[in-house]
Amino acid sequence: MEEKKDEVVVEHKKKIVVVPGELITDERKKLGQHVFIENGKVYSDTLGLSYPSSSVAYVVPLSGRYLPQRDDLIIGIVERLTMKGAMVNINSIYSCYLSADSVRDKLELGTIVSAKVDSVNETNEADLFDTRVFFGGEIISVTPSKVPRMVGKNGSMLSVLKEGTGCNLLVGRNGWVWAKDGDTAKLVKALRLIEKEAHFDNLTVKVEAFLKGKKVK
Amino acid sequence: MAKKNEKIEYVKNGKRVDGRKVDELRPIKMEVGVLPNADGSAYLEWGQNKVLVGVHGPKEALPKHKQNPYKGLVRFVYRMATFSVPDRKNPRPGRREVEISKVSGEALEKAIFLENFPNCAIDVYLEIFDSNAGSRAAGITAASLAIADAGIPMKDLVCAVGVGKAGGEIILDLNKTEEDAPDAVDIPIAIMPRTKEITLLQMDGLFTKAEWKKASKLAFEGCDQLKKMQEEALRKKFDTAEKKK
Repeated sequence: MEEKKDEVVVEHKKKIVVVPGELITDERKKLGQHVFIENGKVYSDTLGLSYPSSSVAYVVPLSGRYLPQRDDLIIGIVERLTMKGAMVNINSIYSCYLSADSVRDKLELGTIVSAKVDSVNETNEADLFDTRVFFGGEIISVTPSKVPRMVGKNGSMLSVLKEGTGCNLLVGRNGWVWAKDGDTAKLVKALRLIEKEAHFDNLTVKVEAFLKGKKVK
Repeated sequence: MAKKNEKIEYVKNGKRVDGRKVDELRPIKMEVGVLPNADGSAYLEWGQNKVLVGVHGPKEALPKHKQNPYKGLVRFVYRMATFSVPDRKNPRPGRREVEISKVSGEALEKAIFLENFPNCAIDVYLEIFDSNAGSRAAGITAASLAIADAGIPMKDLVCAVGVGKAGGEIILDLNKTEEDAPDAVDIPIAIMPRTKEITLLQMDGLFTKAEWKKASKLAFEGCDQLKKMQEEALRKKFDTAEKKK
């Protein structure tokens, strides 16, 4: 019985690893991210996962630098102070400017902030809003393209992580995770597990088992 | 090494000096993601050649006057280790290394969507640990893997191979003995296999038109083989975990 159920799930969202320049489809489909058209055919432009049964041709990359997008929630570190604010490292190509007036707390070197991306220009520089300052805690760096797996559907993975480690957690879309209190060593191990197996199904179940101390094969 | 005035038969009964067929590549081993500190990396063994590549970026191109607001830069650095050749090599970058850095960078540039990264630079650092002819072809092949591993958008992987002539025969992937033949012709050629576009073509020696036709056919076939190996190496990084499951 169980096997049959698995089969259906696998067929529904079957995914394959594609390399740059690999043919995704020669049908007419809506185009998503990380694909390009040449002579009416759709090709992947990156190393990632493709979903052949989907009505949209797109590729989810398995690696790559974070490029800011509108409305992303990100975590940054103040790396330089200027006259009226600070430059914040957001683990992307460029740092962002943060006005001292936009936050109540004093910005110092190394201050951790979270913010949302207001807008991005054509050279991938971002403007931030909704800034909050964090006190204490630590930052764990993960692969930016795998962040959605660390949050899960409706935050399912996030709640599993919070419950299993007892940490205060904030996952930035730019690949930085802020964690405070709780078992951060265990959290790091769990995050590495997600990173390693981000392209497999039923990851939440696996991580839950890992956090409960069961052996994961 | 052959002695002076000794006559070598470069192709005998369809076999070459090292026992290969005329259209056979040397044994190749590729691995991806070997350097955790780089954004992307690759290690390649091609016969006796050993190449390690690390890719950083895209990042802001500095100094600022080097920036191009329309597209990104590829900064390719090809270096040979002092112990990579029989006599010690001076570690100072020489004429040859500067030239290879330039042409290899340009060969890879064609495959990357640089317009996505205005004002940015992609740094490719390549170190040759051991060399035995065809190191720039090995370098380009490995660098294209490392760039794909870094998640940088590309039109296609780039494969490079050497073709040429030794002892009057057109052969694929020359080794050092064949490259030193008196009538040797050596052509490193880099290809994007999907569209069959050539991104690098250099030549040492002289070729007739008919010879070139034959040689280019060999090169395209060799690159198809290489592309398969590259794809396999990239997929392997993500399939290993699946097998354990």
